[in-house]
Amino acid sequence: MSRLLVVDDEANIRLLYAEELAEEGYDVVTAAGSAEAVEKLQEGVFDLAVLDIKLKNESGIDLLQKLVKERHDMPVILCSAFSCYKDDFSAWLADGYVVKSGDLSELKQEIARVLAKKAQRQKAGL
Amino acid sequence: MDWECCWDRDAVAPGDCPNIGEGDEDLLESPRRRILEKCCDCPNFKRDLERFQASGHPMGPVFSLIHDEYRRQKIHIQSLISFLDNKSLEIRFLHELGSVLQSSVDLEEVLSVALTAITAGRGFGMNRAFLLMTDHKLDHLQGYLAIGPRNYEEAHQVWDEIAHNDMDLQTLAQSFRKNKLTAERVKFHDILEQISVPLSNTTHILVKALDGKHPLLIENAYHHPDVDPEFARLLGVDTFLLMPLVSRNRRVGMIIADNCITHRHITAEDMHSLETFTFPVAFAIERASLYERLQEELNRVTEAHTKLKVQQELIVRMEKMALVGRITSSIAHSIRNPLMIIGGFARSMLKNTPPGDPKRNFIESIVGEARQLEGVLDEILNYSDSLYPTKDFWDINQLVETALRDSADTLRARGYDCTFTAGSELPPAYIDFKQVSYCLRTIIQCDLNGTGHERLIDINTSRENGTIVIRIQDHGQYISQEEMDAIMVPFSSTQEMGAGLGLALCKTMLEKQGIPLNAQTAREYGIIFTILLPIRKEEQQ
Repeated sequence: MSRLLVVDDEANIRLLYAEELAEEGYDVVTAAGSAEAVEKLQEGVFDLAVLDIKLKNESGIDLLQKLVKERHDMPVILCSAFSCYKDDFSAWLADGYVVKSGDLSELKQEIARVLAKKAQRQKAGL
Repeated sequence: MDWECCWDRDAVAPGDCPNIGEGDEDLLESPRRRILEKCCDCPNFKRDLERFQASGHPMGPVFSLIHDEYRRQKIHIQSLISFLDNKSLEIRFLHELGSVLQSSVDLEEVLSVALTAITAGRGFGMNRAFLLMTDHKLDHLQGYLAIGPRNYEEAHQVWDEIAHNDMDLQTLAQSFRKNKLTAERVKFHDILEQISVPLSNTTHILVKALDGKHPLLIENAYHHPDVDPEFARLLGVDTFLLMPLVSRNRRVGMIIADNCITHRHITAEDMHSLETFTFPVAFAIERASLYERLQEELNRVTEAHTKLKVQQELIVRMEKMALVGRITSSIAHSIRNPLMIIGGFARSMLKNTPPGDPKRNFIESIVGEARQLEGVLDEILNYSDSLYPTKDFWDINQLVETALRDSADTLRARGYDCTFTAGSELPPAYIDFKQVSYCLRTIIQCDLNGTGHERLIDINTSRENGTIVIRIQDHGQYISQEEMDAIMVPFSSTQEMGAGLGLALCKTMLEKQGIPLNAQTAREYGIIFTILLPIRKEEQQ
């Protein structure tokens, strides 16, 4: 079972993600901000992280850079209310990008795609 | 003594005096005027004087002496009158010339007047005149304009023409400027282009004359010690006059005048008159040149001012747009999250609600409305994004590849294949990457109720006429050109075609960046989208 870390400052969104992704068979852990996310990452290993770009007074992009630097083997999917970040340089560090929507099927597809890619990479010994 | 002349008569009858003709009738009864004006020059009177002298009267020789002296003085006075008449004409001419020169700040008009004055019969009457101007940047004296005939036939033709049209100097100069200035430049181009003398070459006769600041008459030019024989051969005359144009110690240029057709001798009088003329000409040329430069500077300043004004307005507009953008995105963010939560949980509930449950319809309504609101929100966000493009230089092939990668899932779901032929050695284009990227994705993914003729999209990039062209041909869709044009109008109703605001928004976005987007129905089937991207920044201004 793949372990996912979901980082979003909105409690209801965290709840929605947790329920929907758990239903898909993932083990979901949530965090409300950067500090909590780092804490959770220290506690255990995750196969993938789903990050919101706007985290109250923090930036999900900063957290993304930190994760890419320190946990380069863990893929990250950015999730945002703004489609414009898709073409932002700094967002290109992420393995996937999804615009927030009540329909989570795009997010689920992206998670599946990124995890499959990761599995392929691991299989190839990269 | 019987006198042959009528001087002793108080009145004479018409025909009695051979010197009184028609128009002189008042002299018939005026002996005093008749004696002074007619008798003194009459041979009869002279013979009467000789007879008187021969009579031995002591006053005889005295009268003869007085008569001779009177005649000599009369001739002298007549020559003085003639001289004064000429001077008067010259002053009138110079006055006319001065008025024209002083009132004009148009360099071409000044030059036309100056050269016409030198060559016109009622002016200085020289056959030909060359004007050389000082190029202060190059520090050279260079041939600029010339006027006059090049051969006898042309000379007679031109002079006949002038003789038939009795024009004053200003009219003559205006006519020359309007009808002949360009032709004369071309006619003497071969000579003018060869006259180029560095001002540092102080041994050259032109520079010498210019430094001397006085007219110089060159005679026997082919063998003149100070004249380069090549220069004399170029002018093709043995005698010519050099008139330096100097204004406030500034070397303005030089006029070379000659009588290459008539070979009339150039007199000291000619030189003196022309010297008087060159000062106002030099001053007028310099003033006109300065005015021309001033005008250029003024135009430049005006242009800069206009640009500045446009930039200021643009900055104000950008600030307003940026504010609108910030407000819009802030509102959108605030709406997006709750909307997502409503829609998300409604979907969750829908999944867990059995098909026959009466609540299912309500939940489905919530899901549908939330989806529709999300669509509206996307369009608003995209539109607010388009308000302030951020441009830079980007690799277009890479941009197309990224858009294709992002669209791969959608195209696969619709059963589409896609080919991309990347143009080689394309320079970077100056664009807003995000917006053009969005437009490309929208065009590639747009679904205009295609009939599925051939589910294929061909994309190619190329360089054409200074722009980079992205051509996207969708073989699987077809709508009429009228429908296509309607789709391209922003905010026009296109719901029945299923394209929403997408393509119209793309057109607006791209046009804001000065990028044309054309959509045409293909001859056989399908739609061809063409995007022309600028390479240089200036092309967008």
